[in-house]
Amino acid sequence: MIESIVSKLLVQNVSQYFILSFILLGIGLFGMMVRKNLITILMSLELALNSVNIAFVGIDRLNHLIDGEIFALFTIALAAAEAAVGLGIILSLFRLRKAENVNEIIDLKG
Amino acid sequence: MQSLILLFPLLSFITISLFGRRIGDFASGVINATAGILSFIVALISMLSMKEPEDIVFYKFLPLSNTSVDIGIYIDKLSITTTVTVTFVASVIFVYAIGYMRYLFGKWTFKFFAYFSLFLFSMLLILLGDSLILMFFGWEGVGLASYLLIGYFHEEKFATKASLEAFVMNRIGDWSFILGIIYTFWLFGTLSLPKLFENANYVPGITLATLLLFGGAVGKSGQLPLHTWLPNAMAGPTPVSALLHAATMVAAGVYMVARLYPIFSLSQTTLSYIAITGVVTMLFAALVATVHDDIKKIIAFSTMSQLAIMFTALGMGFPTAAMFHLTTHAFFKALLFLAAGAVITGLHHHTQNIFEMGGLKKYMPITFSAFMIGALALSGFPPFAGYFSKDAIVSLIMDKNTLVATLILVTSMLTAYYITREAFVVFLGEGHYHEEPHEVEPIMSFPMLILSFLSLMGGFLLWNYFSYMNSSIEPPSSLMAHSIYGIIVAILGISFSYLLYVKKIVDPNTLYELFKPIHTLVKSQFYTEYIYHNIIAKGYLAISRLIYKAVDRIIIDGFVNGVASATSNYGKPISRLQNGKLNYYALYMLYGVVCVFLLLILVIFKGGILNG
Amino acid sequence: MLNQIAFYLFGGISIICGLGVVSASNPIYVVLWLLGALIAISGIFFSAGAELLGALQLMVYVVAIAVFYILIITAVPWRKLHKNEQHNRLIGVTVLPFIALLYVEAFIVGISGVSITKNKIIETITKNYGNAEVIGIKLFSTYFWAFELMSVLLLISMIGAILLGRKEEKTYD
Repeated sequence: MIESIVSKLLVQNVSQYFILSFILLGIGLFGMMVRKNLITILMSLELALNSVNIAFVGIDRLNHLIDGEIFALFTIALAAAEAAVGLGIILSLFRLRKAENVNEIIDLKG
Repeated sequence: MQSLILLFPLLSFITISLFGRRIGDFASGVINATAGILSFIVALISMLSMKEPEDIVFYKFLPLSNTSVDIGIYIDKLSITTTVTVTFVASVIFVYAIGYMRYLFGKWTFKFFAYFSLFLFSMLLILLGDSLILMFFGWEGVGLASYLLIGYFHEEKFATKASLEAFVMNRIGDWSFILGIIYTFWLFGTLSLPKLFENANYVPGITLATLLLFGGAVGKSGQLPLHTWLPNAMAGPTPVSALLHAATMVAAGVYMVARLYPIFSLSQTTLSYIAITGVVTMLFAALVATVHDDIKKIIAFSTMSQLAIMFTALGMGFPTAAMFHLTTHAFFKALLFLAAGAVITGLHHHTQNIFEMGGLKKYMPITFSAFMIGALALSGFPPFAGYFSKDAIVSLIMDKNTLVATLILVTSMLTAYYITREAFVVFLGEGHYHEEPHEVEPIMSFPMLILSFLSLMGGFLLWNYFSYMNSSIEPPSSLMAHSIYGIIVAILGISFSYLLYVKKIVDPNTLYELFKPIHTLVKSQFYTEYIYHNIIAKGYLAISRLIYKAVDRIIIDGFVNGVASATSNYGKPISRLQNGKLNYYALYMLYGVVCVFLLLILVIFKGGILNG
Repeated sequence: MLNQIAFYLFGGISIICGLGVVSASNPIYVVLWLLGALIAISGIFFSAGAELLGALQLMVYVVAIAVFYILIITAVPWRKLHKNEQHNRLIGVTVLPFIALLYVEAFIVGISGVSITKNKIIETITKNYGNAEVIGIKLFSTYFWAFELMSVLLLISMIGAILLGRKEEKTYD
């Protein structure tokens, strides 16, 4: 039974891209939930975004398209913009509040 | 061209409402009176040039599948003659009102003239409208104008109460009227008057419909049981009493029954009920009028009584006689009210109690002669107008039902008694005044002269009127057959009051002590006013207050506030999920994604979207 | 064959580096683990035939973004960091079953075979001209609007980042 499932999964060996993407996504999500430092949370987010890129490329391999790569391009650009703005915010937060822990900026409470 | 009749008062109303403040009170009065006179001229021309009944449709208001509600006017003999009468009396009173309200000029009196124009427009809608819907619009419009005009002295509490009472009682009548209109539409399938007249055949249920329609007339004309507003409506200025509560508005009820007579005549029960209401009210009003002492209230009760006579005539099956009495009644009743208003003005609005007046004959001779002419016309003394119209009714009914005719004669005697009593007490005898009363100015006495002339001469139009209306029920020959009885009772009444109040053969005070319980009973209108105001109205208020305290505050507010507090109390624990930490927010997003995937699996395997 | 080996190698490195990102205590170590993961992922792109993407990944992520992170880490004056206070252990324990559940669900969905269509045209162009050329054709024809909008987005974020990172100037008169 396991043989059949594995062979079905690997029938075109591009499906492995999806598995890898999922594993990395789970790790990135886990990291976002577990880590306390603001900067490290952002870094786990980068990891998750990259896993999405891997999935896009996997789709392209599977179906002989090229549009997935273009979307991956946009995702990279977006991640760059978001990292810049997010780090700017963290910098301001630290300057104003001296807070680098998630536990110290709980103004949205309630 | 006939639409101009309606257009002039409407334009006057709009102009005075918009520009009255700028053009001043006197100019507003002149515009008002001019509009009335122009309407009268156009109406007269229409009447003289009319060949056959015509229905002029202006606008198809509501085209339904098999019928349509239109806006238009219906000109036939009944409507155009009544329109001529109404516009004539209205014009005369409008001119008089300029003089009467002169003492109030400078205090925004243009409002008064605007309301007057509104009233005339609505009244003409009732008279000329070609469908029951337009009649109802006019009905409501005159009720509104009546409310505004009775309560014109809005700083006096009594006047505001009276206007509210008038409006509410009118409303009760209107409720019955609108139910009647709906039922009529249900029975006949149309609201347009010409089509109603074509389809007027007996259908079961017509008794109820006509009774409901008559209910509207009861409210509008102040018949029993919706009568207590009419004497109280005298709180308004005298031109209002003259126009609305003597000549035109209260006559709208009579006009409505006469207009819809083809339908009313299909139900004998309704006609009998109308006659009974008429008989009871006329005796009631005549009795009550004999003991009152306010100069205008006596005349108000006489209006109630005369209208009841008209309703009796309608109930007995003589609509033309009733309408002729309406015409002459408009003349002499308006004359009486104008004279009373002249007396009030001449006394500089000091008092309205007739026992505080006296001997005004030498100070106000024109007013005296006007009042006497009106009083004699009302009593049915020949050859004044009232004699012809009232005795036409008596003669026609005498052949049909002797009891009713006798009762009308009794009422006529009482009428003669109380109206001449008022005339003698006010004008003859001796009076003591702080300031000397003076005769009124020509702008007020000229209208009185015109109406006096008509009250004298109008009766001779009797045969012309009947032959013009060409009614088959009332043969012109038998109109004055029994008129001798009318003359006898009029003389009896006049001489009785002459002996009592001029010659004073019996001291009125001892008579009063003798009959005191009856006097109290009658003066309070057989306690109807007490019952209506204290028991029904106050009782209703008490019940509603109780309901407010018990139901509204405790139950309904408690429910609504309870919902609010329950929401707030359940929301607090849930709001604690937001603790401000980013990690938890990401966690909740994960929960959401898991659930979405679960849904996706369910969809795939239960086969909803993918296999369908 | 070589393809498979490359994929497994780079895939394994990326997973190990990902775990390192999550579990490292020192923020500098986290950056290093992230760098490793990014380079491995770039290797995956190359092995899959997306050469332009792999090169861009290296240039943008590895060079620009990771260096940016290091800049911020060194520009913020930290207090003393405690090793045991870097992870929220309670959440970590409670969340693991849910991630497992997510994996199971994804697995089931993947097995049931939801698929999309196939196309052979791209393959011929790729064989003749190379990957970058094809991306160029598609980017400037079909996705032209998105391209322009992305550039505007980058411009805006650049301005935003500059504004946010400025030191407040105290002006008292």
